Amino acid sequence: MIAIHTEHLTRRFAGRTAVDSLSLDLPAAGVIGLVGPNGSGKSTLIRMLLGLIRPSDGSAWVLGEPIDQQRRIANRIGALIESPAFVPALSAHANLRSLADLRGLDPGRIDEVVATVGLTGREREPVKTFSLGMKQRLGIAAALLPDPDLLILDEPTNGLDPAGIVEIRNLLRSLGTRGRTVVVSSHMLSEIEAVCDYVVIIKCGAVLFSGPIETLMARAAATIDVAPEHPADLERLGLLLADAGWRAGLAGDGCLRLTAPSHQAPAVNRVAMAGGITLGRLTATTGSLEDLFLSLTSDDPGPNPRSHSVEPTPPPHANGADSPTISQRG
Amino acid sequence: MVGLSTLLCTLIVTFVFTAAGDGTTIPDGGPGASFPSAAELAASDGFVSGLSGAASILGVITLSFWAIAAATDFSTGLIRLLVQAEPRRLRLLAGKVLALTLCTAAVSLAATLTAIMTSGAMAAPAGIDTAAWANDGLVSAASDALMAWANTYLAMLIWGIIGLVIAVATRSSAIAIASGVGYVLVIESIVGLVAGDAAAWLPGAILTAIASGGTADVAYGAAATLGLAYALVGLAVSTVVFVRRDICD
Repeated sequence: MIAIHTEHLTRRFAGRTAVDSLSLDLPAAGVIGLVGPNGSGKSTLIRMLLGLIRPSDGSAWVLGEPIDQQRRIANRIGALIESPAFVPALSAHANLRSLADLRGLDPGRIDEVVATVGLTGREREPVKTFSLGMKQRLGIAAALLPDPDLLILDEPTNGLDPAGIVEIRNLLRSLGTRGRTVVVSSHMLSEIEAVCDYVVIIKCGAVLFSGPIETLMARAAATIDVAPEHPADLERLGLLLADAGWRAGLAGDGCLRLTAPSHQAPAVNRVAMAGGITLGRLTATTGSLEDLFLSLTSDDPGPNPRSHSVEPTPPPHANGADSPTISQRG
Repeated sequence: MVGLSTLLCTLIVTFVFTAAGDGTTIPDGGPGASFPSAAELAASDGFVSGLSGAASILGVITLSFWAIAAATDFSTGLIRLLVQAEPRRLRLLAGKVLALTLCTAAVSLAATLTAIMTSGAMAAPAGIDTAAWANDGLVSAASDALMAWANTYLAMLIWGIIGLVIAVATRSSAIAIASGVGYVLVIESIVGLVAGDAAAWLPGAILTAIASGGTADVAYGAAATLGLAYALVGLAVSTVVFVRRDICD
C-alpha cells in the first residue's frame, strides 16, 4: 500500500526550484521521517501534498487521490505545519470546536484528542496563556481531530520539554503501529532515528535517499579504531590488517582506522595477536543517522553511504588471544 | 466594533447637531464628509440625518474590521488550518464574507439606533425644531429609519469589501487599513481637487452618496448601482486571489 506517490513533482519560485522533479513512493502505515537541511524543499513538498500550494509540474497522489482533489481526503489527513496557529483569545476547546465544526466532525472527539496530547484540564483556558509546548500539543490535537489515516507533522516536538518529547515520540510510534501513516519532518535526527520506520532525505528539492531506516543505517560508515600497545608496532599492524583484507588508514594519536562493522572487531584482534602484536585499544563505532545525514547532505564530497562498501575481504581467524576492551559507541 | 462604532456615531451626531445649532458652517470635507444643515436636521427625516455625518467613520471602521478579519488568518498562519479543514476555498471565503456581512448588519443597526437616540437627545440643546419629525406618522418615521439603516449598511458593506480585497491581496491588515483609508480619505480628496466633478464617481464619494441617500453630484440610484458594481468587482477579485494564490508563509 502506498500512502503518498509523486511523479516528477516540481515547484519553482521566481527562478528558484524548491522541489525538483521529485518522484517518491511512501508506504502506508508506519512512521516516515522527512529530513533535509533548511531550504531543502521539505515544507514546499508538504504544502503541495496538502493543497496549500500548487505544483509547477508533475503530479502527486495522497491516499490514492490526486492532490488537487483535497476535498475528498480532507478528513483523512491531519497536519501540523510549522508553528501551530489558533485564535489566541479563544480556549483550546473552542478552537478545536470551530475546526471540528468546519470539518463536520463530532465534537465528542475533542475530549479524546485533548486527552491524547495531555492537555486535559487545560482545554478551557485561552490559547494566549499557553506555552509554546502546550500550543504544540494543541496543534497535534488539531491534526488528530479527524482521526486521520495520514498524519503530517512538521517539527512536532518543537518547544516541548524532554518529558513531552518522549511522550510525543511514544504517541507517534503508537499511531504508526496502529495502521496510520505518520510523516514527521524534523531537524532532530535522533528523533527520526528513534521513531521512524522509513526515511526520506531531501536536499535542494531532490531525494537523496528514500527507504527503510534499517537500509539507511546499514550503510552507516561503521569504523574500528585500533592501536598497538607499543607505537613501534603501528606500521606492522597496518600491513597485517591490509594483508587480511582491511583498508586501514592513520587516524592520528598512534591509531589506525578501519572501515568495518563492529562485529569484525574480534577478528581484527585475532589478526593482531596472530602477528604477535598486543592491542592497546580497540574501539568499534557504529555510524549514526547524523553522520549519514551530514555525509549525504554535505557539499564536501566525503564518504557516501550509498556507494560505501562496508564489507571487506573476510579476515582470517586467529585463536587464543587476550581481548582488549571493546567499546561500542553510536 | 460595535462599541467603537456607537461611540464615534454618538460623538459625530452630537457634533453635527451642535454645529448646526450654532450655525457653524462645516467645510466640505471631500469624500470623507457629508454633514446636514440645521434645516435638514429639522426636516421630517432629520432624526436620521446625523447618521450621514458618521457614515465615513463607520466605513473606515468597517474597512479596518474586514481587513483585520481577512488578513489576520494569513499573518497568524490560521489560514493553513482552515484550508486543510475546508479545502474548498470559495466556500471558506463565502463563509467569512457571510459572517462579516451579518456582523456589519448588527453594527450598522446599532449605529443607526445610536444616531436616532443621540439626535433625540441633542435636538433640544442645539435648538433644532423637531416638530416635523412626527408630522408624517410612525410608519413614515420607521420607513425613514429603515432607509437610513439600509443606506448606511450598504455603504459599510462596500467599505468592508474594499478592506477585504486589499487584505486578501496584501495579506496584511496594516497595509490594507493604511492603503484603504489612505486612498479614500487622502488620495481621493487630492484627486477631487484635480479631477473636479469626475471625482464624484470614485469609491469614497459614491459610498458617501449611498449613505446620505444621494448627493448633489450623484443621485442615489446611480450611487447605489455603481457602489454595487464596485462591490461585485471587489468580491470577484478577492475570490480569484483567495482561491488561486498559494498559501505560503
